[in-house]
Amino acid sequence: MALKLANVTKSFEAHKVIDNVDIEVGDDEFLVLLGPSGCGKSTILRMIAGLETLTSGEIHLAGNRVDRLPPSERDMAFVFQSYALYPHMTVRRNIAFPLIMRRHRWWFHLPVIGGLAKRRIERSPEVREKVERTAEMLALTKMLDRYPRTLSGGQRQRVALGRAMVRQPSAFLMDEPLSNLDAKLRTAMRAEITQLHQRVGGTFVYVTHDQIEAMTMGTRIALLRDGTLQQFGTPREIYETPANTYVARFIGTPPMNLIAAEVADGALKVGAVDLPLPAGSVHPASGKVWLGLRPGAMRLTAPGTPGALAGTVSLVEHIGAESVIGVALDGVNTAHDDDGGLTREVMVTLPGYADTRAGAAVGVAFDLAAFSLFDRESGARVGGDAARG
Amino acid sequence: MARFRPFHAIAVLALLGVAAFPLYWMFVTSLTPSARLFGAAPQMLPDLAQLPVYLDALTTTSLRHWLFNSMVVAVGTTVLSLLLAVLPAYALSRLKFPGLLLLGFVLFLTQMLPEAMLVVPLYDIFARLGLLNTLLGLILANTAFTVPVVTWILKGAIDAVPGEIEEAAHIDGCSRLGIVLTVVVPLIAPTLAAAAVIAFFHGWNEYVFAQTFISDDQLRTASVGLASFVGELSTPVHTVMAVGFIYTLPAVVFYLFVQRYVVAGMTSGGVKG
Amino acid sequence: MMTRPAQSQPQAADQAAAPDRSRWTAAVFVAPVVLYLLAFQFYPLAQQFYLSLTDTSLLNPSRQTFVGLENYRDILSDPEFHQALRVTVVYTLVCVAGSILLGLGAALLLDRPFRGRGIARALVTIPWAAPPVAAALIFVWLYNAQYGLVSRASQALGLSAGGFNWLDEPSFALPAILVTTLWQIFPFSAVVILAALQGVPSELREAAVIDGADRLSVFKAVVWPTIRPTVALLALLITVWSLRRFDVIWIMTQGGPLGETNTLVIDLYRRAFVYLDLGRAAAVGIVGLAVAVLVTLVYFWASRRAEAASGRR
Repeated sequence: MALKLANVTKSFEAHKVIDNVDIEVGDDEFLVLLGPSGCGKSTILRMIAGLETLTSGEIHLAGNRVDRLPPSERDMAFVFQSYALYPHMTVRRNIAFPLIMRRHRWWFHLPVIGGLAKRRIERSPEVREKVERTAEMLALTKMLDRYPRTLSGGQRQRVALGRAMVRQPSAFLMDEPLSNLDAKLRTAMRAEITQLHQRVGGTFVYVTHDQIEAMTMGTRIALLRDGTLQQFGTPREIYETPANTYVARFIGTPPMNLIAAEVADGALKVGAVDLPLPAGSVHPASGKVWLGLRPGAMRLTAPGTPGALAGTVSLVEHIGAESVIGVALDGVNTAHDDDGGLTREVMVTLPGYADTRAGAAVGVAFDLAAFSLFDRESGARVGGDAARG
Repeated sequence: MARFRPFHAIAVLALLGVAAFPLYWMFVTSLTPSARLFGAAPQMLPDLAQLPVYLDALTTTSLRHWLFNSMVVAVGTTVLSLLLAVLPAYALSRLKFPGLLLLGFVLFLTQMLPEAMLVVPLYDIFARLGLLNTLLGLILANTAFTVPVVTWILKGAIDAVPGEIEEAAHIDGCSRLGIVLTVVVPLIAPTLAAAAVIAFFHGWNEYVFAQTFISDDQLRTASVGLASFVGELSTPVHTVMAVGFIYTLPAVVFYLFVQRYVVAGMTSGGVKG
Repeated sequence: MMTRPAQSQPQAADQAAAPDRSRWTAAVFVAPVVLYLLAFQFYPLAQQFYLSLTDTSLLNPSRQTFVGLENYRDILSDPEFHQALRVTVVYTLVCVAGSILLGLGAALLLDRPFRGRGIARALVTIPWAAPPVAAALIFVWLYNAQYGLVSRASQALGLSAGGFNWLDEPSFALPAILVTTLWQIFPFSAVVILAALQGVPSELREAAVIDGADRLSVFKAVVWPTIRPTVALLALLITVWSLRRFDVIWIMTQGGPLGETNTLVIDLYRRAFVYLDLGRAAAVGIVGLAVAVLVTLVYFWASRRAEAASGRR
């Protein structure tokens, strides 16, 4: 059930909300649309669903062009952030609703007669069996005859999933479905949805602003910002070879450090330290770059260690399994945003309980085994270690 | 429970006294024998021995017909108003179309038209359509005045229905009409009830049209019948008050039962503009 | 088609067949009510407007001559019409001010928690639920010259001699009608204001109390600003309703004595059905409608300015 978005653009008046987005995923993939609020990820999802129109571009599902079909004919199901359950219907009727609608006739609008007709469909063996099987998969069997308002948040979420599953659609679209749940339930539901995907198959498109959800659930991630696609790839690609400084800083906690550096004569000059670029690594011939290093790729040394950057500990956070240490470097700039603002701080994560405190003079050492290089001006990726390029 | 405050309690009792006294007085008067009615001192308590007056009121006057006619007019106005109002209320709330603002303004404009002003031209229209002296004519005229109010109230309730529920129904394969009838209407049921009550009351209370369009005594509504007693001397006062009380009581009791919804409806849609 | 503003509704559409379908849906949904109102409100209104330009008499409605604005000239120089305007203004202003003050008082009383509050809130709405004709009937009886309770009470207190006919006294008829009207409509104000009071943020109220504000200051600083827009809208509604109220006044006094209760609507009805002068009656109606429209426009203009001034929206 391959899903393909080609040159999808949406504008309101002169303003482009979605600018020329291309995404293509194969059968049974779990696509995550990731980005901060307002980046256009929900708009793309709603365009796939048919709740919004495209200004230009095309959407294909399983080889068929769907962007001009009404939502109900696209063979997709949608799970809303607020669940959007019908509060005046039982769980059973909520789940059965799409099936009833499939056999809807105009005279179902008549009072009484329509109600009886709908009840007959709901009670027909076929619909009944489908609803009950769905409920069983989601552990909702005992709640079938209750109303949504009597259910907990997680149960409501499962009813919403059930309503989507019962249609056996080619694609499941989900708009931040977990954001109304508390942290613990969110983790549980995350696993549940992943399992659901493995069990029922079909293309999943999942919108979130949460990078953990994206990394754990997605087989593909499309990272968006201001309506433009920043990077599209597997979670691993996005994490290891971010396409630009924005992606680099968006994924990972703490995010990737961006340290001002310069390439000259096959070596990387960072502050007072000169490091030879390893053979096989990709890099520009010369010029100013951002050196991208994950916090785990760095370590603390005694002050004055050769090859290490000198600095002072500015922050110590013990999380348990690891410690996050902030170090203010001496005379070396770092970037936290791509808005041009500079600081000196880098983040280093160390396993276990690191015995240091704020104010201590330290050295920050790293080797160029896993790194990325970004153009200082544009922020685009210009190189990295041999494995990542 | 809150602390007892004597002044507050007295003020509340006074307020309720003012609100309820005239109706109480109507009831007392209906149960006061004529002789005492015109005596030196007023009788302040009802004389329950006089209850047969109510039987008289029902048998000696045309009250039964009047109440029946009022009921027909009120129910007819309610049903017609709701039927006409649901879809435009939805359109006003959810659909974007040219003339949206104009329609909203026009609906409000009708609130400024006095019934008394349209009596003459409507008389003319109904005369041509053969609707003079019919209850259907009254229903049509009343509905013209209730539909805008009902539409506006329902629009307010539909505004509060989450859009995602409609989108869910859309994806589940509901047509636009299907969404309105199977999802929106059940969700706004309390407001629908409130709007129905408002339309019902309009029909039950209406006077000008009923007074002008109906000439047949058998087709009079209770409001006109009751008004015909004012200034007329042949019917005993207690009978008049009994008639008035029978006409008023169902309205008040009915209203007390549903007032929670009416208040919610009026404030959500009608007033919180 | 592309110039429509941004919107998040599903029917937001700038491509394909969708927008046209949405428009058709809207047209189909709206058409019945539009046709209905055209037939039973706006066509009669237009007819009334035309009548106001003719000399039509109820005695022989088919024989009419176009007289232009003559009817308007006539009524504008007619002292009876001047009086009707004056009475209407007084009646409306007192209705608005009185019902809001009474309603506000009642609402504040019923906003405090006390035992039986729910019942009290329901009971206070009784007058509004009573049919206007019945209300008029009760008050006519209360005002009855010989046996009415009001007359008996004022006699007992030595305020008036026996047989004082309130509704026949030029200086008492309008106040008597106002009392009846206010009794009927103040519950509506009370209920609406009561609902608005629920929107007063309790933290704000508590903060004001902690800051040492007395009750009146709390009202002025916290309560009134919250309910003011509601009260303004209420004032508009009551104005418009007062301008068109017919039944209570007609039944109690028919505009008398000496035209002291002759509001525009009563005047219009009298001219049509007592003087049989449909042309001038229509002219009175059109002038009354113009007043109502004007008041409404002023209201919307003022509320928009107030909104802009307070920086909301």
